[in-house]
Amino acid sequence: MTGDSVEKLYLIALRLYPERFRLAHGPAMLQAFRDGRRDASLPRRQFLSLILVDLAISLVKEHLAMMREVFGRPALFFNAAVLAGISTVLALALYAIPQQVLRQGANDPQIAMAGDAAARLEQGQPPSEAIPAESVVDMARSLSPFVIAYDDAGTPLASQAQLNGQTPVPPHGVFDYVRAHGEERISWQPLYRNGQRVRIAAVVERVGGAHPGFVLAGRSLREVEMREEQVLRMAQLAWVAMLGLIVVGTGVFGWYTRPRTA
Amino acid sequence: MSTQPVAGIPLSAAVFAILLSLAEREKHGYQIMKDALSPEGGAVRLGPGTLYGSLDRMMRDGLVAESGVSDDERRRYYKLTALGRRALAEELERLDLAVRAGRSLGLLPHRSRS
Repeated sequence: MTGDSVEKLYLIALRLYPERFRLAHGPAMLQAFRDGRRDASLPRRQFLSLILVDLAISLVKEHLAMMREVFGRPALFFNAAVLAGISTVLALALYAIPQQVLRQGANDPQIAMAGDAAARLEQGQPPSEAIPAESVVDMARSLSPFVIAYDDAGTPLASQAQLNGQTPVPPHGVFDYVRAHGEERISWQPLYRNGQRVRIAAVVERVGGAHPGFVLAGRSLREVEMREEQVLRMAQLAWVAMLGLIVVGTGVFGWYTRPRTA
Repeated sequence: MSTQPVAGIPLSAAVFAILLSLAEREKHGYQIMKDALSPEGGAVRLGPGTLYGSLDRMMRDGLVAESGVSDDERRRYYKLTALGRRALAEELERLDLAVRAGRSLGLLPHRSRS
C-alpha cells in the first residue's frame, strides 16, 4: 500500500470522529500522523498498529463523550423525566377509569335483583318462592346472574346457583358488614384451586322483617375481567408508545440543540 | 499558591504522560506522542485520537493550554498551566511514596546516593 493511500485511509477515518472534535483537532491529528510516518526512528509497522488501536479506542471514546455532551444535559433529562411522569399518570388513568366503569357496571343487574328479592322475603314470601330456581346456574361456567338467600346465620335457604354441586357461602365477615351497614358490593372468589378460578360481582343485601337474613345477587366477572385485561394491555401499549416518543423526541431535540463550540 | 489537592489525582496514564512531556517545555502533538512512548515518558502508546481527546479534556480542566506559538498552522503547541504543574507534582509525589513503599518491602532494589 502506498503512502498516499494510507494517508487517504486515515483521512477517511478522521471523518468518523464527531463533528466538533474533528473540526477542533482533525488538522492537528493529520499533522501528527504525517510526522509519525516521516519519523525514521519509529518502525513503520509499530506506528501503523499504534494508529489502528488508537482509532478503535478513541473513536468509541469521543462518540461516547459527544453523547454525554449532547444528551447528558440536566435540562434535557428534567424535561424527559417530567414528560415520562405525565405519560405514566395518563396511562394509569387510561387503565383505572375504564376499569372502574367496567367493574361498577358489572354490579348493575344484581343491585336491582338483590333489592327485589330482599323486598319479597321481607313481605313474608317463602325463600323458595321469592327466589325461584327454575334453572340452576353453574357459577363456574355461566355468565347469567343469580340470587341466593341465606338465613341470619349465613346458611343457604334458596339458591339459583351452584358451584361444584353446592351452594357457596361468602365469608362471614361479609354478613357481619351487611348486618351493620345494610348492603355490600364485593368481588367474591368462591373458588380458587388447581388453576380453577371463579370470581363473582356480588351485591349482598340485608333482609329485615320476621325472618331476618341476607340476599346475595351475583354474576360471573369472567367477561368483565377479560375486558379489563384488554384495557390494561391497551394502556400498557399507550404508555410504552408515549415513552418511546419521549425518548425519540428528547434525542432529536437534544441533537438539534447540542452545544456547538468550535 | 493554593494547597488544595488537585481534583483528578491519581491521573490516568495518558494525562500523566502528557503532563510529564510538557513539563520540559511547550510541545506539539507528535513530540508529546514520542515522549509518551519512550520509557522515561511512561511508555504510553498515545495515538493522535487519544492524544487530542485527552488534550481537549485537559484544556477544559485547566491543566494545559495552547501556547499560541506555531511554526505551522496545523501544528499546535501546548504548555502546562500552573494547575497542570501542580497536578503533575502531586502525582509524582504519590508515585514516589508508592515506590518508596515498594523499596521498603524489598520489591525494588535500594539505590545508593551518588
